[in-house]
Amino acid sequence: MATDTKSLYVLPGDAIDKSLVPRHKKQPLRLGPGLRHIPPSAIVPTTAGQLVVEPRKNSMWMEYNGGRYVPAQNDLVIGQVQRSAAELYLVNLAAHTASATLPQLAFEGATKKTRPQLAQGALVYARVVLANRHMDAELECVSAATGKAEGLGPLTGGMAFDVSLGLARRLLMARSRDEGGVEVLELLGAEGLAFETAVGRNGRVWVGSDSPKTIVLVGRALRETDEGRLDVEQQRKLVKRLVREMR
Amino acid sequence: MATSSGTTSIATPGQLLGPASKFQPGPGTHIHNSNLYSSLLGVVHASQPAKPPGPSKRLTKITVPTQTPAELPTLSVSRTGVSEKREVLPEVGNTVLCRVTRITPRQAVVAILICGDTVLEAEWQGLIRVQDVRATEKDKVKIYESFRPGDIVRAEVISLGDQANFYLSTARNELGVILATSEAGNNMYPVNWKEYMDPETGLSELRKVAKPY
Repeated sequence: MATDTKSLYVLPGDAIDKSLVPRHKKQPLRLGPGLRHIPPSAIVPTTAGQLVVEPRKNSMWMEYNGGRYVPAQNDLVIGQVQRSAAELYLVNLAAHTASATLPQLAFEGATKKTRPQLAQGALVYARVVLANRHMDAELECVSAATGKAEGLGPLTGGMAFDVSLGLARRLLMARSRDEGGVEVLELLGAEGLAFETAVGRNGRVWVGSDSPKTIVLVGRALRETDEGRLDVEQQRKLVKRLVREMR
Repeated sequence: MATSSGTTSIATPGQLLGPASKFQPGPGTHIHNSNLYSSLLGVVHASQPAKPPGPSKRLTKITVPTQTPAELPTLSVSRTGVSEKREVLPEVGNTVLCRVTRITPRQAVVAILICGDTVLEAEWQGLIRVQDVRATEKDKVKIYESFRPGDIVRAEVISLGDQANFYLSTARNELGVILATSEAGNNMYPVNWKEYMDPETGLSELRKVAKPY
């Protein structure tokens, strides 16, 4: 049990065995989301989920599938423009939550004379700049360091689908097949469908393509992967079945 | 009706109290057309004039002092009867203590609790705008790194503002956060002009720290 962290599921407030906490000679222990340090030496989970330990980087965190998205700094999110106030867009990240603010000048090549024209209801792919529990979140559509958009900005055409937060996180992992267990987007691309996607950490996936059939198909594949909790093999079968039905 | 020395008569706003040639205006009254009128609904007080100094005698000379205007009795109207306590209002230039209630990227909303040395009876709302937080580098100020909700701040009133808010400033070394609580819930101690440290967890948080006296 001590080494088998793949299946260690904890509830909030459970005591974590001291032998699970990694030790390193030089690096201090880093706690990721979902864990809280109560001095002097207690580490307590704050959410229900899977405890993951990385001994090489001396860090531990929780993988969990929550229902409500809490904005965190440097997250990539898909927001919908609610309205525009003075020099700002008010962008909705999740239903029934406070809006995030997106300055009208935080786009690539935007000056006071040339501003982006975003209508109400438009989708934007943005990064969270400032998020804490005392203030509304702030977004930007341009990288502050380079001044270039790097994929951020308005999303035109296509359609946005809602997925669970856990699936959105796994889709955004660098090695989504090995670590996250999702390969459905790559498989659909391998079948010859032409589409592009943008994944928002707030549980939204935008799919754009020339043919609406492709968009609907990708959306269906994502929803069935999410609801059925399919692993890679089942995703392969799902993709084959959907493509066959389309043809 | 006009009253000359009654201490228990009631005056309504706009009531004529007497001519300005016979009385000095005090708190709660105003002068209009050389007459003294009451500004408040309350009890009228007349302070006895200072006894004019009699002719002073020196060994060689007797001088009669000229009549000074301070000899006129002062009329004042106060709301709560006999008590001398008046509602203290923050004035421009006063140093106040306030608690931060809300922060937005452009300002911090505070509740003014203490003005000078007196605890206020009512809580007045104040605003600390982002350009009034510091004296230097005003455009680079981040409110989240200067104040948090719940902090106690020493500030100076710079303007009486509009109907809802006073405008406050912390743009001096001795103004800023004097009491702060950490995210873990412990009281924090100042480390330097921009950090407070929680002694139990060892984590430090950014604030605009007031220089201790």
